[in-house]
Amino acid sequence: MSLEVSDLDVHYGRTRALRRVSLSVAPGQTLGVIGETGSGKSTLARAVVGLVRPSAGRITVDGEEVTRYRARQWRALRRRGVVQYVFQDPLRSLDPDVTVEDSIVEPLLIQGRPRREAADRARRLAARVHLDEELLSRLPGELSGGQRQRVTVARALVTDPRVVILDEPVSALDAANRVRALELLKQLRDAGTALVFISHDLGSVAGVADRIAVLYQGGIVEEGPARTVVNAPRHPYARLLVGSAPTLRSAAADRAQREELRELLQNIGGPA
Amino acid sequence: MIRRVLRLTTGRIAFGILAAIAFLAAFGPLLAPYDPLEGTTDILANPSGAHPLGTDYLGRDVLSRLLDGSRVSVLGAVQVALLALVVGVVPGILSVYFGRAFEWVTLRLADTLIALPFLVFAVAVTALLGNGIPQAMFVVGVMVSPLFYRVARAATLSVARSQYVEAAIVAGASVGWVVRRHVWVKVLPPIAVALANTTGVGFVVVSSLTFLGIGVQPPAPTWGGVLAADLGYLSFQPWAPLVPTALIMATVWACNLLADAIRDVTGEAGRALLNTRKLDPGKVTNGSPVAP
Amino acid sequence: MALLSLRDVRIHDGVGGRDLVHGVSFELSPGKVVGIVGESGSGKTLTCRAVLGILPEHFRVSGGGIELDGRDVATLTRKEWTALRGGTVGAVFQDPASYLNPSLRVGPQIAEVVRVKKGLGRRDARRRAVELLGAVRLRDPERVYQRYPHELSGGMLQRVLIAAAIAADPRVLIADEATTALDVTVQAEILDLLADLRERTGLALVVVSHDLAVVAQLCDEVLVLRAGETVEQGPVERILYEPRHEYTRLLIDQHERYGLDRFRELDHVA
Repeated sequence: MSLEVSDLDVHYGRTRALRRVSLSVAPGQTLGVIGETGSGKSTLARAVVGLVRPSAGRITVDGEEVTRYRARQWRALRRRGVVQYVFQDPLRSLDPDVTVEDSIVEPLLIQGRPRREAADRARRLAARVHLDEELLSRLPGELSGGQRQRVTVARALVTDPRVVILDEPVSALDAANRVRALELLKQLRDAGTALVFISHDLGSVAGVADRIAVLYQGGIVEEGPARTVVNAPRHPYARLLVGSAPTLRSAAADRAQREELRELLQNIGGPA
Repeated sequence: MIRRVLRLTTGRIAFGILAAIAFLAAFGPLLAPYDPLEGTTDILANPSGAHPLGTDYLGRDVLSRLLDGSRVSVLGAVQVALLALVVGVVPGILSVYFGRAFEWVTLRLADTLIALPFLVFAVAVTALLGNGIPQAMFVVGVMVSPLFYRVARAATLSVARSQYVEAAIVAGASVGWVVRRHVWVKVLPPIAVALANTTGVGFVVVSSLTFLGIGVQPPAPTWGGVLAADLGYLSFQPWAPLVPTALIMATVWACNLLADAIRDVTGEAGRALLNTRKLDPGKVTNGSPVAP
Repeated sequence: MALLSLRDVRIHDGVGGRDLVHGVSFELSPGKVVGIVGESGSGKTLTCRAVLGILPEHFRVSGGGIELDGRDVATLTRKEWTALRGGTVGAVFQDPASYLNPSLRVGPQIAEVVRVKKGLGRRDARRRAVELLGAVRLRDPERVYQRYPHELSGGMLQRVLIAAAIAADPRVLIADEATTALDVTVQAEILDLLADLRERTGLALVVVSHDLAVVAQLCDEVLVLRAGETVEQGPVERILYEPRHEYTRLLIDQHERYGLDRFRELDHVA
């Protein structure tokens, strides 16, 4: 397994943000994690890359148990470039004063690789994510939203990671850029990278995910192959989620069904 | 960065003025036509061929006094700025990264310094370390360092929580890397502005210390000292304070221009942090200087 | 008779010196829903603003005509506009929080709309505001009335804004990306509410979104806008099953190949 999380708990003060979350992703597999505001999806992503400290449970990245890692050990692991994280907002996750090229190769420079090699790599990655080479010398502010997003993906790929966590990678994109970004993610997956695709929108994950996990109030309430989760969800929240996702032709649920599910959820409350 | 600053008209003007002032500081004492300490009977004389800026209440040549005092004044201001930079900015940045204890101690120290009455501190230091220019400048530098500490800390805090710093950390960056690559550029513009203001304050404070007999002793000239002396004889020579004032203002203005230019070339992020001092952006980018 | 009709509306940007919307036409009858799909910069928001008479400075309608309830809006005085907005046409936008005063409780803000638009007294206005909060399906409207904007979630705020928008019983409601910033389940709640209002009160809707699927769920007629140009227009069924323009096909593809419709399609075949 490229990434394995078991019984993960995260607390912020006395609030329990994640409760007994377990999931795993194999090489070449894509896991979609669906969660809405306050579901704990960002906390999960941050815990996996070591930005948040879990209060219980285990996290294994590429065979290495990292749960109790200290700062120094995390740094060593990160410098190997095994796991990368694509932040939700491409504009805010790029330093406005650093050129596109320097942003992309920053992980390599941190590793201490020579500049020339890094510049070379930047050009190849730009081609891979369909970014014009002349944009490399620009600042992030001079790029469009879609271009910036490709820059952050390129930065995540620069170290040939085994696991890439993507936080809402297509939410901010328009139709054309969205299709392009999803194609790129498919290529990545086919090249053997394990992807964790985090989103509030089931519709944007369904197309690329092999498996889908639904996060609700800090716990996973549904997990399974994408097709099963979409076509036959069991938990009321998962059913509401599927029934609420806008579709073109055949809505999964009508208004009355959704209303029923909302009532039901009100009554049962969150996961234990 | 210097090259980028020099591409702006404001940057060039600022550098020009500062270069002239540096020249004065270096060679001013040699250029003085008279002994700046030697009094004559020709007191409070109006400007003439012999004394282009007239003489003061002891008959000393004002031009000579200003030229001779330029080195002490400028070096004093630079010393204040550098001290404040080291004592204020470095802990300010590190307070965000060096853990809770360091943060707590430096924050309390900054608060203490702000609460401390300036004169009491000045007299105490003089009593402890003796009277002299370096001691006086030390006092001023330490007293203004909380300002730098706070400005640097605020700028660093806002950068430290940004996603691009987190992205660097996830890529394995150390604190040193983050500070060098991401924090420093954002901290610089607000610091530059604070520095420009401090330089101005430095001149004035030196003169007020002189008045109290701390630091520069009365016969030795400084710009601030000459200004203070001139102010006493306004009824005889109402124009006299204009010259030292112009020197001080030119320096402060040049520092401010330079700060603006630095802010302008360090991009959007630098500009956003500068909400303490918002100038009309058109004024700076057009490069049309404003009269001092 | 059409409640709202746009005839070849063009919108000119006085600063940029060019037209940003090149001819948008549609008619809206009571109880019907027209959808406008397009990305940012497609001119969909400008079109809505033109209908509401709130075009930003330097922008003006340079061609065609807009008729609201049988009246050409170009001839309206400021006073007539004020009466029309709220009374005949209401609107909700993307970021509900920015349309409410953060330092006032939400209830009185709605009550004020009722007092101004309907001329009700203080007590009646309050009662009506609570009624409206109930009408937008907020649980416990009396309690919501007393809340400040920051105490409510995005979905609740959007309901409050809808309540304010329908306070003066308009006949047309414009929802410009009204569900974009919301979670999917909350988005569905708001869309369900709009459908519900339409059924109960005969409210006509203009639903604007970047997502064809959002529009498809609610609308009778769809306009696909791109760079100020109507690239495709027609009944929703026709647009979905026989798209003529390549851009419309891209919008559909996004759902069929990458979205939930991917699974549905295959299952229908199987």
